[in-house]
Amino acid sequence: MNACAMKTLAVRMSGSLPALLLTNLLLCLLVASGCGKPSESTSTSGTAQKASLTVGVNFETLQTEYWVAGFEAIKEELKKRDIRLVESVADGDANRQLQQVRTLVTRKVDGIILVPKDSKTCVPAIKSANEAGIPVVLFNRPASESDGIRPVAVVADNRKLTRETVQFMIEEARKTGRKHKAMLIVGDLGDMNAIGRRDGFYDAVKGHESVVEVVAEVPSEWNQEKARAGVVNALQVNPDISFIFSSSDFLFPSVVAALKSANKYHRIGEPGHVILGGFDGDATAYQMLVDRYLDATGVQDVYFEAEQSVQALLDLLAKKEVPNLIQDPGFVIHQGNLEEKKGRMWGARVRK
Amino acid sequence: MAPLAPGFATLGNLQTLLAYLLPLLVAAVGLTLVLVIGGMDLSVTSTIALASVVGGKVMSAEDGWLAGSPWAVPVGVLGMLATGAVLGAMNGVAVAVCRIPAFIATLTSMMFLSGLAIWITLSRKIGGLPPSFLVLGQNLWMAAAIAGVAAGVAHLALSRTVYGRWLYAVGQNARAAWVSGVPVVWVTFGTYVASGVFAALSAVLFTAVLETGNPEMARDNLLDVIGAVVIGGTSLFGGKGSVAGTFFGVVFLALVDNSLNLLGLTYYTILMVKGGVILGAALVDSARNRFAGGAG
Repeated sequence: MNACAMKTLAVRMSGSLPALLLTNLLLCLLVASGCGKPSESTSTSGTAQKASLTVGVNFETLQTEYWVAGFEAIKEELKKRDIRLVESVADGDANRQLQQVRTLVTRKVDGIILVPKDSKTCVPAIKSANEAGIPVVLFNRPASESDGIRPVAVVADNRKLTRETVQFMIEEARKTGRKHKAMLIVGDLGDMNAIGRRDGFYDAVKGHESVVEVVAEVPSEWNQEKARAGVVNALQVNPDISFIFSSSDFLFPSVVAALKSANKYHRIGEPGHVILGGFDGDATAYQMLVDRYLDATGVQDVYFEAEQSVQALLDLLAKKEVPNLIQDPGFVIHQGNLEEKKGRMWGARVRK
Repeated sequence: MAPLAPGFATLGNLQTLLAYLLPLLVAAVGLTLVLVIGGMDLSVTSTIALASVVGGKVMSAEDGWLAGSPWAVPVGVLGMLATGAVLGAMNGVAVAVCRIPAFIATLTSMMFLSGLAIWITLSRKIGGLPPSFLVLGQNLWMAAAIAGVAAGVAHLALSRTVYGRWLYAVGQNARAAWVSGVPVVWVTFGTYVASGVFAALSAVLFTAVLETGNPEMARDNLLDVIGAVVIGGTSLFGGKGSVAGTFFGVVFLALVDNSLNLLGLTYYTILMVKGGVILGAALVDSARNRFAGGAG
């Protein structure tokens, strides 16, 4: 095409940008439909037609290893039961999540497993599904009770599990025979799980001020870079901090980097060891336990939660009674029970 | 597109699509005005969050200041709009009077307002909003009327009034506009106020749709809003743009999300395709401007 023709085309195009955009979208969708791997799947390609149920799985985010592991565990559980899957991820946006759940309703799925953005903004999404007769099970985050909905939720007790983890850390601190200055790294305080973990930490510390004095609370907003900067600053102000609890294991790389730069990263039993604890049970935490840098972490049993979520959904579809709250007891893993418990630690299985 | 995406051409899906894009459209229209004058407003989504919290604090039946009062909804909505206007005015003063670069002024506002919204609520979402408020976002006709009127007013102001011509003039060359008698400071100030009010109106729709006063409301929508405006043909350098273009930009982004979900692609594929689609649109727009400019 010569330059003159290009100019003429461009001038014609200048009045129809929307049409161009939509044409472009159409082309990309054509490419995607040919090349992209559809997320609808069943256990084996040959059994696709046998699958009698379709379940929509909507996650608020896949930002951390925990959510990815949860997502994969649910997929695996559905695959085991020969259930077809339709997936979507809201990328942290409550409005987008509402749209995606309504899209699942439009696609007439039989049931939905949902990780809500938070406990309240998911209510309209649950209502939409329930109005269409589609049951919803919440994975790892509960919803507020609201008019007309009583969703089933499979959740870890963040507060209790954190309290137990920090209590273990305090006992380790007590054994050293001296008082420790402590740092808490909090998550995004817009997230109920983060609030539960913060509260669990303070529950455990209360009454043990002679062993642990909290001198720093670092806000991370679930962002590794913010966590690293916050820990570095806190260590500069309080270089004698010797007790750190991170509200999620996925922040450990930031904590480790900050501790190394302050020359405070030592194994358990070595002089200058900082007592470290976390929550989740991811692969990094597992490796740190194996390497004897980490004292304890609270493990959410992601496989239990996935299995219970799918089972609850099937029970709801079969019109059976299902409790509104199914609790994942979780467990604290530490040097003393590592061998015994690592088989149930999802981070250890991911690492393999 | 319908044959490609199962369920795309259904009434239910159209309603889903509209409910998703209307709040974004209102926020994007406000931002369009700011970009036309060569400014930037990164605090749009924080304004939405704070206005949402203010509305929730006023109207909530659980512990709202006017819980149960017949005045709760009108006062709540006016309070939300006033919040947007005040925050917009603060940005306007910072940019137009104090001459702080818009990027820095509104970035600072964004951080401050996000923190303030979380501090006011202690991170708690506010439920129990009155049904007469929820209908503003959940009744699609009502929501479409609100968004349509807002976008229509902005379109007319931009394309048919002296104020609109002033906006383009300021965006193309603020100094030349000032020499020509355009009240640049007032135009800039007023545009940020308008952006704040549009953000607050968007908060009304978001809050009603999601039934929650939320200190994190729309936090992850900033790039969607800016992306929609830019894809709609508004220049980041000022002096160019239209509400109609922004409308198509918002529809475009919403269609991308909706269609790819209906196609049943995996999350990772959707992200890659979405990036490719937006890049393609930007390249087409760039080529169009280049050759159309040369032709002229």
